[in-house]
Amino acid sequence: MLEAFVFATVLCGFFGIIWKKNLMMKIVAMDVMSTGVIGYYVVIAARDGLFAPIVSDANKGAYADPVPQAVILTAIVIGLSIQALMLVGAMKLAKDNPTLEISEIEKGNTP
Amino acid sequence: MTALTLTWIAFPFLVGFTIYLLPKLDRYLALFGALFSAGYAAWLFVHQSPIELRLLDRFGVSLLLDPLAGFFILTNALVTLAVILYCWRSDKNTFFYAQTLILHGSINAALACTDFISLYVALEVLSIASFLLIVYPRSDRSIWVGLRYLFVSNIAMLFYLVGAVLVYKAHHSFDFVGLKVAPPEALALIFLGLLVKGGIFISGLWLPLTHSESEAPVSALMSGIVVKAAVLPLARCALLLEEVDPIVRILGVGTALLGVFYAVFEKDTKRILAWSTTSQLGFILAAPEVAGFYALTHGLVKAALFLIAGILPSRNLNELQTRSIPTPIWIALAVASFSISGFPLLSGFGAKVLTMKNLLPWQVIGMNVAAFGTAVTYARFIFLPHRQQQEAERSPLQPGFWAAMALLLGGLIVANVVYYDAYNLQNIIKPLATIALSWLAYWFVFRRIAIKLPRMLEEFDHLIGFMGLSLVLLFWIAIARSNPLFSGLPFYFGAP
Repeated sequence: MLEAFVFATVLCGFFGIIWKKNLMMKIVAMDVMSTGVIGYYVVIAARDGLFAPIVSDANKGAYADPVPQAVILTAIVIGLSIQALMLVGAMKLAKDNPTLEISEIEKGNTP
Repeated sequence: MTALTLTWIAFPFLVGFTIYLLPKLDRYLALFGALFSAGYAAWLFVHQSPIELRLLDRFGVSLLLDPLAGFFILTNALVTLAVILYCWRSDKNTFFYAQTLILHGSINAALACTDFISLYVALEVLSIASFLLIVYPRSDRSIWVGLRYLFVSNIAMLFYLVGAVLVYKAHHSFDFVGLKVAPPEALALIFLGLLVKGGIFISGLWLPLTHSESEAPVSALMSGIVVKAAVLPLARCALLLEEVDPIVRILGVGTALLGVFYAVFEKDTKRILAWSTTSQLGFILAAPEVAGFYALTHGLVKAALFLIAGILPSRNLNELQTRSIPTPIWIALAVASFSISGFPLLSGFGAKVLTMKNLLPWQVIGMNVAAFGTAVTYARFIFLPHRQQQEAERSPLQPGFWAAMALLLGGLIVANVVYYDAYNLQNIIKPLATIALSWLAYWFVFRRIAIKLPRMLEEFDHLIGFMGLSLVLLFWIAIARSNPLFSGLPFYFGAP
């Protein structure tokens, strides 16, 4: 069930990237897609339990798998920096293409 | 050994950041960083036995350094050295050298690791570093080309991440061997990511524009080594898992033919070289067990060709036909073209013979057609008119340019030692016949026709759409191969 929602998010993002005409919207759609991927890692990590795995005397029950969470943390940071770089690029392009329509940008910048 | 290997991985990053602190020494530090890698690659060849490292338990980083990786690392070092030499007298600032070295380091990391998450991190660092190099001129066009590259590769890497977690779910580690037990969709998603990053087949249509619109040194880096960082993992998966091997070989043949088809009809020199890169990547993947040597010769030759294209008076081939180029430059161009066409005496010959020997029977026709097409493509460079160089044409860039050429073209000659068994009569006659035939074909057919192929497929929306299509195709192949019901169907024809 949760997995279905996660994949719906990924697909929404992917089709957003294809169908949205505006560069800004495409970048936002990419962010939606990466949110879906991050969500999927969290779902996988929680498949055996929900508690954060912290060493202590009290046994709280089933723990979540820490490995996917650790991995996705790296991916979140990388995704954030790429997002930032792309937004800077969009900002620079906006000077000459104020509408940021991708077809216009492409027409002006391909030989 | 472990300490040396880890130092080698961290070294380019350390030096890269030191360059920012000591901007006066930028060129020297960058040169030193690349030389260290070259030394390490040489040590790998001397050492011979593969080094396997596993850091931080079974969930952690795993590295494998064998002669196959050694070839790629050597390519990386030589191409980086050549680019630094080429830029020595140019007005490139500290930022450029630092980014070049960080790019170099991220490629080294991607070549060394054999688990999906380390590879992901290395490939993403590589995307960012190459984006920064592409947008170095800060013009609108360069920003758009860079943005397009970053966008496409980031989307591909998101699919890849989903595949990686599916491998983890099945195997409880991120190692490449986990693909064996992972569901077919994991294979499809991971391969989509690697194919897009490597510019293979229809998912790699972003490559021609990106490689042709970048500045000459950046194009040389991109075509020479950046795409190979994703090609080596593909070859490694094919060597590790025999069910993946036919998929990689099919993609290799398809890519070789697709690239050469476009290259033959293209009129712009840098676009010809970019399409030819696509087709040569196909050659590398067509025989994964000998991928290393082919990658080395292609990296050297393509870096040299892009650097030469950067100082030619025009990018349009028709214009070059009428204007004639200085003889010394023409000689360098001809040597590189002969090597990539597979002419004996240059190591492109040995690499082609070795690849052709390791093909499966059903690949042979396709790859011979691709080799013929490559020779036709480069006949167009070889037959360019040339004349004596005038004093006025000597640009201040020239000493660096010739140093880079000496390194790259000298490397092509020295690399012959890797496979000197290739020199027997039968092996020599075949490429000579191919080249002779292709020159005839060029002279009587291709020189006269002018077909302009549409570039519609390279539009951004189509690139993303093709990614979706490739995913469906890969998924279908993976399902067909994993399901015993379908195992008799055509996709099984690659099995021994």
